[in-house]
Amino acid sequence: MTPQDITKLIVRTSMRDREAFDLLYRNTSAKLFGVCLRVLGDRAEAEEALQEVFVKIWTKADRFAVSDLSPISWLVAVARNHAVDRVRGRKHKTTDIDAALDVADPSPTPEAMVVAGGQREQVYVCLDELEADRAAAVRGAYLDGDSYLDLAARHNVPLNTMRTWLRRSLMKLRECLER
Amino acid sequence: MSGAGEMEREPEGDDVLAAEYVLGLQTAEERAAAQRRVEESRDFARLVDGWEMRFWPLAAEFVEVTPPAGIKAQIDRRLFSSSAPATVKQGSGFWSSLAVWRTLALGSLAALVAFVALPFIDPPAPQSREQMVASLAAEGSNVQYIVMYDSQTGEVGLSHLSGEPATGRDFQLWVIKGTNAPKSVGIVPGGQTARIALPDAMTKAMEIGDVFAISVEPAGGSPTGQPTGPVVAAGGLTEI
Repeated sequence: MTPQDITKLIVRTSMRDREAFDLLYRNTSAKLFGVCLRVLGDRAEAEEALQEVFVKIWTKADRFAVSDLSPISWLVAVARNHAVDRVRGRKHKTTDIDAALDVADPSPTPEAMVVAGGQREQVYVCLDELEADRAAAVRGAYLDGDSYLDLAARHNVPLNTMRTWLRRSLMKLRECLER
Repeated sequence: MSGAGEMEREPEGDDVLAAEYVLGLQTAEERAAAQRRVEESRDFARLVDGWEMRFWPLAAEFVEVTPPAGIKAQIDRRLFSSSAPATVKQGSGFWSSLAVWRTLALGSLAALVAFVALPFIDPPAPQSREQMVASLAAEGSNVQYIVMYDSQTGEVGLSHLSGEPATGRDFQLWVIKGTNAPKSVGIVPGGQTARIALPDAMTKAMEIGDVFAISVEPAGGSPTGQPTGPVVAAGGLTEI
């Protein structure tokens, strides 16, 4: 599926086309389930979240038209935001990620292999310019849904310190990506 | 974690908030506030999209995992509990949800069509003449129009049922044939009824299942030639 194909499916979904919605699910649900699993770290909860994500996609597909994102980025953003909302809404994060991924297909995605193959994305170059633990914190937030609170506990620093460090890191990152 | 520059002022402002929202660093309350701003402020939404794009390469690390087989049926049950799960209908083409639209729209449509269609239909109809109707609506939107198509005139008649564009915005009518990109028919004029000429290539070419859609656009219409705002009503052509 090209990005154009996915765009068409999202636009048709916004017009209540169920066949397009079925195709969209068939072509993107594995990626979005991967997002839910990684952020939520719990398989049953990820399955529940995936359902809610596609309900959102059906009801909010028209929002894609006003977004600047590529179609798959928009879908992943919907899934990530929903999964993070779920994590923030509960008291303690399930950290049984290994168990959740036990049944998962561990082979890297085509995109990941391109990255592994040496064609390095600029964001990784810029993350390398940050101190290692701060870069790890940024990655942990994006990929694992870690909050300031989680990160402060993990790195054993006060919450405000973590916030200040990450805010500065984010501005450095932006500056690096813009040069 | 320590290093030079710890005495600098802490960065703040909307772009920092947008980045924190995208990374998911905030509490539930802070996220809810940020989400409201995304809905309400186009500028803030753009900052959020900017950070989504910056971090996008990291998303390659999300490993694809095929979800269990029953999940899609559960989604369909949540969304379409009153109807059968979507199965692929043989030869029904892309716009098979027409059946759904029909069942949704026909109840109210039947009563209206006879009345609304009258001004658009002239009595002596040659055999090659085709007249069709589409009921335009969408979930979560109060915008409703009925579109009448007459192959002889190549015009569509529009009948306004409900919903108005916000100040400084226009409704724009689009036609979508099959898998093609939407083609603009024009800005929807105000008032109860209106006639708009179809684009030249379409005047004789409309078929059952072709879709009309209305999007919200800046005053004067989409600057790009494609819909840029949310679709607030859509529907497929059916026979009268």
